[in-house]
Amino acid sequence: MLIEQCAYTNRWRQVSPAAKGLFTSCGIVAAFVARSPLTTCCLAVIILAVAVVGARVSLFRFLKVALPAVLFLAVSAATLAVSVRWGGFPLRLQFHLVNKAELSHIALTCSRSLCGISALMFFSLTTPMTDIICLLRKLKFPEVMLDIMTLGYRALFVFLEVIHDTRTAQMARLGYATPRLAMRSLGILTANLTLQVWQRSNALHQAALARNNDGSLMFLEDEYHRPVLTLLTASCSGCALIALAMVPL
Amino acid sequence: MHIMEGFLPVKHAIGWSVASAPFVAYGLRSVNKRIKEKPEQRMLLGVATAFTFVLSALKMPSVTGSCSHPTGTGLGAILFGPAAMAPIGAVVLLFQALLLAHGGLTTLGANIFSMAIVGPFASYGIYKLGRSVKLPFGVCVFLAAAIGDLLTYVTTSVQLALAFPDPAGGIFASFMKFAAVFAVTQVPLAISEGLLTVVVFNALARFNPQELRDMNVITKEVQA
Repeated sequence: MLIEQCAYTNRWRQVSPAAKGLFTSCGIVAAFVARSPLTTCCLAVIILAVAVVGARVSLFRFLKVALPAVLFLAVSAATLAVSVRWGGFPLRLQFHLVNKAELSHIALTCSRSLCGISALMFFSLTTPMTDIICLLRKLKFPEVMLDIMTLGYRALFVFLEVIHDTRTAQMARLGYATPRLAMRSLGILTANLTLQVWQRSNALHQAALARNNDGSLMFLEDEYHRPVLTLLTASCSGCALIALAMVPL
Repeated sequence: MHIMEGFLPVKHAIGWSVASAPFVAYGLRSVNKRIKEKPEQRMLLGVATAFTFVLSALKMPSVTGSCSHPTGTGLGAILFGPAAMAPIGAVVLLFQALLLAHGGLTTLGANIFSMAIVGPFASYGIYKLGRSVKLPFGVCVFLAAAIGDLLTYVTTSVQLALAFPDPAGGIFASFMKFAAVFAVTQVPLAISEGLLTVVVFNALARFNPQELRDMNVITKEVQA
């Protein structure tokens, strides 16, 4: 996964996830505080620049990851911009473009979403999931939820490899030659994966029992570079983003 | 299709999070109870989360000729129960937001409500109802997966309609507008997912009936 690769290789890998999380939260708050589309677009660009210049995340990768979300946003904006009503003779559905005031409201909604996506991308492209789970543990999230996250995150790469290998084998035998064959092959693949849920969970349980596990799964935490200083810097930068959001443009 | 980060107004984002919280809390309580009775369920639920996540990586042929990915709502609800699907779904949606940029953090509550609560509970209810009126096993599974999938998108349409009522036609016109946009892709997808889930259960019942019996999904007469 592209996001995971960036999260482990960016320059801010060793920066405390709490600092990056705080900056992201401030970015999202700023997106909601801003009252003009121009301001929210500026905020989105600033957050993108922080990721690209500060964390050295490749601009191409950032845009590639954000592209599907931006395309969905474009479809949503088009849907919002069209008003539907019954009218005419004979009675039929009529489509109209909404008025100017509504259009500016839609522009604000979409730019707010764009800024939110930019902030979310910043966090996910600079912070690996293991760090996020550690952060959630510090924030006292329920233990069961964290266990599900830890196990799920570790198992999903195993499953992705199983899918890749099985699909390759099926395709080599023309398993996806027609839609009917594709459905059958996919059904067998999913059934096989479903069975592996039990097999792998039993194996994991046996492994945990062998290590005297009797409760939650505990892992060592990484040590981060100057956590207090980075947290202070993130809070100052975050406050600056919110202050900028309040400036009328 | 998940609602994107920042798309819902603040009040709606908070409202849907508050609406989802009791279901996730109930799900966590039920999961905790299951783990106390059977400690191996901790691993099962963790691996099931990965399974639900990777289902979205599978490309499924749709009846319109295009392809999409299964949601796994019906499959998960029948296998693991709707209560367990609320926390599992919440984690999967968080993974999708952070690892795939699908959905968001402020819209997590709304997405949990549609995909991890309405979908699984509807699928499970339809499955149980079908079994109680003695419908064939395959028909029950198909209806549970297909209708559960459709109801997920109906709920998303309702959420968007409430947040963005149409200036002329109000909430109902807005709902029809969003539902029509979703219907183009989701009706064929729901039918495909229903068929796929039947194929999955047929394969499991044929090759691994013991596991399905252990989860109380099938009885001996179904297998026969």
